[in-house]
Amino acid sequence: MRFLTSHPAAEPAAVLYHRCTVDLRSGAMRYEDVPCRNLEDVLGGFGRSFQQLAERTVTEAYSDANPLIVNTGLLTGTNAMTGMRAYFSGFSPLKGSKKGLPAAIWSAGSGNFGAKFKFTGLDELIFEGRSAGPVYAVIREGADGPVVELKPAGHLLGLTTHDKIMSLKQQYAGAHFAAIGQAGEHWETNYMGAVALSTDNQLRSGEDKCRFAGRGGMGSLMGYKNLIALVAQAGDKLKPLSEAVKKVNINVVKGGGSARLQPIKRGGGGGTWANYDVLQAFHAVPTNNFRPQGNDLPERLFRENVEKTHEIKSEACWRCGITCHNNVHEKKADGSRGEFLAKFDYEPLNLLGTNLGLHDPDQAAQLIKLGDNYGMDSITLGVTVSYVLSFNERHPERRLLNGATFGDFEKIRELVVGAGEGRIPEVGRGSMRLSQATGETSYAYHVKGLELPAYQPETNPGYAWAIAGGHMSMATYGLLTREGKSDLESWVTGITQTKLNIVGFDMIGLCKFFDIGKGIGTQMVVDCLQSECGLEVTTDEIAGSVRRAFLRGLAMELRQGYTKEEFTLPAEVFEKPNANIKLPPVVASPEFFAELSKRVWAVFEPELEGLLPGPG
Amino acid sequence: MKIKVRLHGVFRIDRFKEQVRDYPTGTTARAVVEQLRIPTRLVGTVLIGGVHAGIEDQLAEGDVLSILPILGGG
Repeated sequence: MRFLTSHPAAEPAAVLYHRCTVDLRSGAMRYEDVPCRNLEDVLGGFGRSFQQLAERTVTEAYSDANPLIVNTGLLTGTNAMTGMRAYFSGFSPLKGSKKGLPAAIWSAGSGNFGAKFKFTGLDELIFEGRSAGPVYAVIREGADGPVVELKPAGHLLGLTTHDKIMSLKQQYAGAHFAAIGQAGEHWETNYMGAVALSTDNQLRSGEDKCRFAGRGGMGSLMGYKNLIALVAQAGDKLKPLSEAVKKVNINVVKGGGSARLQPIKRGGGGGTWANYDVLQAFHAVPTNNFRPQGNDLPERLFRENVEKTHEIKSEACWRCGITCHNNVHEKKADGSRGEFLAKFDYEPLNLLGTNLGLHDPDQAAQLIKLGDNYGMDSITLGVTVSYVLSFNERHPERRLLNGATFGDFEKIRELVVGAGEGRIPEVGRGSMRLSQATGETSYAYHVKGLELPAYQPETNPGYAWAIAGGHMSMATYGLLTREGKSDLESWVTGITQTKLNIVGFDMIGLCKFFDIGKGIGTQMVVDCLQSECGLEVTTDEIAGSVRRAFLRGLAMELRQGYTKEEFTLPAEVFEKPNANIKLPPVVASPEFFAELSKRVWAVFEPELEGLLPGPG
Repeated sequence: MKIKVRLHGVFRIDRFKEQVRDYPTGTTARAVVEQLRIPTRLVGTVLIGGVHAGIEDQLAEGDVLSILPILGGG
């Protein structure tokens, strides 16, 4: 980026970002320096990409009208702790309105691809149309700036995400990679394709330790475009670490915010896996398609129990001081560490474990690894499979697909493999479409077409207003369980004021663990922007920009045909309250939700005017 | 007074899962946390009798105090 001002909020047009637009049909490339329209453009990520998507009329995700936008945030590739994020945006093949129009979506991932992309000198890469044959794109430093080239990718087809990355690694020294798996290649029958992003740990060890931009099927969009992978090749270009950023980073790593994510051996909480323990106290761990049973089954996947039979290695992304990865290995007979099995984050572990009726860590690990290697979003995959299992439990006489039921690992595995290989579109196309086909939609655990993460919707009516991933674009998932709030005022304030701020991280290039409780409108971020970019921005300006970006996302949902009735929770939540969940049921009552909805829209609607440009 | 203390997650390490313990009248949840040397920055939720409570809340005879780590992320 070029900064011709130090006050980007007042003078956004004096900040220019470097974009390359690739026409995949012809191979033509256009490079340009684009002046920012507003602070959202400056901060980057979905704040910018959603403004570009808003200029398009897109009625089908798999169409030439739908671009894939790859970009980074202002702090990606800087010394700011967690500044590693890359973003993939477009209209989603998975998430869409009942009118049949696709929703705009973004997904985010860490690893080292984002920083390398930034280091090439490119801020944004837009792919238009689709290539006639499979290609991968190389973004590298050229003598006069970044250069993007398309190369034939036939030799990569059929490889797992990990194998594609390792194949490209042999050719491109000093590079990092983004790749789809077989799932994305089978875009016609699999809408949940993820984009795998390489990590230093992966390239060094040879173990399949990718990170993922998973939500919303951006990997399937890449597959549609015949764009199989991206290579970002550049030398590292970090500035010397300033005292200001050093102070921020120490605060991030040692301060209260990330303590729960740090390894237990270092006095931390051990990462998101700990959510199992917290939610089990309320019997709110999703089990058997989001129907907790009030028993101790979820405890089998508690860390303290898995540790008895497995080795858990704490690792981190490149240069990140938040060592939040829990990489599970076999434990050999002599007690030493054996083969890497899978990374246990809360979401994949629950949705490919307990929520499928599986309570064996080895089985959960196998499914997580399969999902990762085939390149599927583990949330959408797990929740769609759990719908199948739930249907089959209800209809033993006319089961779907291979008749898999809760706890039947071999048959569940067949579904995962089949979806990954594009052979089972019933799973591959997500729970919304499958439930519409069966006519039984009440227990399909999606909202607006995107599957829910592993927090019971009874505990989080805020899901209805999430504009992308259900818990990463609306942070109300702990408002009842963690904070104990069950009054209307707290929920209205949470949804309309405080908890939407989480989306700011997906603009600026930081991981949410930087400061998940407070968002990016903080002095820490102000200090990083001043030190790394020479920009003077206030916390209020940042907060205002984040709010506008969120509201723009909401406005775009309405433009793509969503009615207010679709901003709701799965019907089973209201029709069959689960008495096993030991939390006040009030927030899941139809009356509460109706009043909440009225109050939330009363706040949001007036602010939506004028946020979207007309279609360009 | 006798308080049943239930610990969850990492708080159990080198401590216990559930124990009935003696505390002076007027003891707060925070005092119990500190007495057990649980880092308060890791404490997410405190329940008294299964209901959300504040860390400064005073305990009463026979209370069940649950101390939970922070919930968050994905």
